Amino acid sequence: MRRSTTWRSLAVAAALLLALGACSGESDTGTEETTTSTQAATDEQPTTTTSTTTTAAAVEEQTIEFWHAFNAESSEVQVLEDQLIPQFEAEHPGVTVKAVSVPYGDLRQKLVTAVAGDQLPDVVRADIIWVPEFASLGVLEPLSELMPDFEQLAAAVYPGPLETNHWQDAYYGLPLSTNTRVYLSNPDVYANAGVDIPATQDDLRAIAPTLVDAGIAAFADNDLSGWNVLPWIWSAGGDIVDEAITTASGSINSPESIAGVSLLYDLYTMGAIPEMIVQGGMDPYEEGVATGQYASMMNGPWAYSILAGDYPDFELAPSLTPAGDGGSVSVVGGEDIVVTASSEHKEAAADFVRFMVSPEAQRALAEIGQMSVLSELGDAMVEIQPYYQTFVDQLATARPRPPTPAWPEIDQALKTRLQEAFVGDGDIEQALNDLAQEIDQILADS
Amino acid sequence: MRRRGKSRWRTPAYAFVLPGLVVFTMVMVYPTVRALFISLHEWNIAPGAESPFVGLANYVKAVKDPVFWRSFQNGGIYMLVTVPLQIALGLVAALLLDAKLRGRTIFRTLIYIPVITSWVISSLLFRYLFGAGSGPINAFLVDVTGVISEPIAWLGSRWTALVAICALGVWKGVGWAMLIFLAALQAVPVELHEAAAVDGAGGWQRLRNVTLPSIRRTLTFVTVLSIIGGFNVFISVYLMTGGGPADQTQVPITYLYRQAFSFLDFGYGSAISFMLTVLVFGVATAQLWLSNRTESEGPA
Repeated sequence: MRRSTTWRSLAVAAALLLALGACSGESDTGTEETTTSTQAATDEQPTTTTSTTTTAAAVEEQTIEFWHAFNAESSEVQVLEDQLIPQFEAEHPGVTVKAVSVPYGDLRQKLVTAVAGDQLPDVVRADIIWVPEFASLGVLEPLSELMPDFEQLAAAVYPGPLETNHWQDAYYGLPLSTNTRVYLSNPDVYANAGVDIPATQDDLRAIAPTLVDAGIAAFADNDLSGWNVLPWIWSAGGDIVDEAITTASGSINSPESIAGVSLLYDLYTMGAIPEMIVQGGMDPYEEGVATGQYASMMNGPWAYSILAGDYPDFELAPSLTPAGDGGSVSVVGGEDIVVTASSEHKEAAADFVRFMVSPEAQRALAEIGQMSVLSELGDAMVEIQPYYQTFVDQLATARPRPPTPAWPEIDQALKTRLQEAFVGDGDIEQALNDLAQEIDQILADS
Repeated sequence: MRRRGKSRWRTPAYAFVLPGLVVFTMVMVYPTVRALFISLHEWNIAPGAESPFVGLANYVKAVKDPVFWRSFQNGGIYMLVTVPLQIALGLVAALLLDAKLRGRTIFRTLIYIPVITSWVISSLLFRYLFGAGSGPINAFLVDVTGVISEPIAWLGSRWTALVAICALGVWKGVGWAMLIFLAALQAVPVELHEAAAVDGAGGWQRLRNVTLPSIRRTLTFVTVLSIIGGFNVFISVYLMTGGGPADQTQVPITYLYRQAFSFLDFGYGSAISFMLTVLVFGVATAQLWLSNRTESEGPA
């Protein structure tokens, strides 16, 4: 009796676990949107071989799968599927592009799962910070070796975004779109308070008390990750790791880095930076600038489209990241396009990459808010959207986050240590010394 | 249970259990064994890549990792707070709504609505409610009632954030407990109540001596399931605090998720997940065993 009771308990416990497991099952949110090739290439004369690959018989039927996180709600997916892909397919008979749109938040996990299951697509539009990591896993094809014309293509794009594709001795992708964060302000707030939009970190420190007295936060941001704090550290003349990305000691705990972080901390403690900065990057803060709750924010070009809907009359005043001893240095964001090592159609995939970074495709994407990576389009950007000007200027000095596979771990360490210091005792120097040790360890282990 | 005819029914019984057992093996046993296997390696997710065997290194790492301990502590606290509250409130609601009350269907529905609301939506809702500064909870406490003078940054520190996370857990769990209790209460024979009433038992005595003993198995069921659910809390924490600030509100699953999917350290993530499975399995087994024992030894 006792024995059977025990076994029954085990069985019931197991069954309950099963029930719970079933409830919390993963949901696959990736929505597959297959683009249907308009012309069935089978009927057409397949003799016009345009690509360099020479096949003895007819043009091979190829389908390349392309995963991306272009926004399905704005016009991005529409332009990709109705304009760009049909055009590419027309220029490359026999090649069909199957585009799969995945929400940005799910794309990384989907890629990780696909790596484990050997199910990666041929081409991926990847966030620039993922490329070195996936390259180090050995699942990406080095484009600098795959594409004979890689150097020409690389020479046509901004060096900052290009660097995000660099891992060890090769380049694993090409930049597809770029962006950076600039200082975006509510001009009315400054006019009413009788102060100027800060051009330097010292200016910001000087005007903050005035704004706080008026009940306005001088500056809003919603996280303490590298994306958020590196512009302040770099502009103050500091850095997070050395140039070779081997050590953080001497960089992240240098007096300059401490000064950059301390500025944020001092503003935070005096109420000039709202609480959400320690709360993990989930709160929207654009609206607060439009309503005059916050005087300024650091943000990318998408802030304009976020505010355009609800605040059509409001106009953001853009300016460069407040400068310090290191100048005005912001952080590069954006997307790269990569080809996977498991792709069976690498030549066709490379053709698609070439097409996506061509001036024509880049211009089409720029029309819908994707800033181009081609330096030759810099002036055209401003014609397309005048507000791109400040971003273009900022990009000249903007820097990428260190291209290392350990970046997610380093970024988390940075965020955790700073959150601890901000909500804790506020000893920034100690926090950055600890952080330097922690990052050194992460880099040594990787 | 009647023992008569036991052997005659055994074969068909196994046949009926088989499909469930197959599914169970596929979606529970295999992944668990696999997780154990992965946890003993420095796992490289790329196919064909080498994954060196590291023995118990990932488990040693966990034991030395203060965030690992904190995550299990937070999971335990969440469980200890939400389970009793969920059961007590669910039981009270069930008892009240079992009575012939005007509009009880409406009340039942209202209490059950959180259960069918998506975790994502309710997490974002609670994140908004507990917002720093001018969030509705702060507005209520500071401006409306004046209980506190300064707004609280609820999600800005460990304990206040856990209050918010637990509040969501209870809010979302009460309806489910109530529903199960209601079903059990309706199965309690009216005769028992009538007999007790004839014997002169008051409402409180009937509750203690008739109602509660009759639904004891249900009580065990609800308790065990809520405890398992408590340890497995994920979406609410992930969306409300992301385990922050500074890892103060990590729970086991948010922490193992980060190790695996952010840092690609699947060996360590699997080690945490395996330990969680063992813990939950152990707690659930012990609890069922205890309750079965008291049942077979206690007064019938």
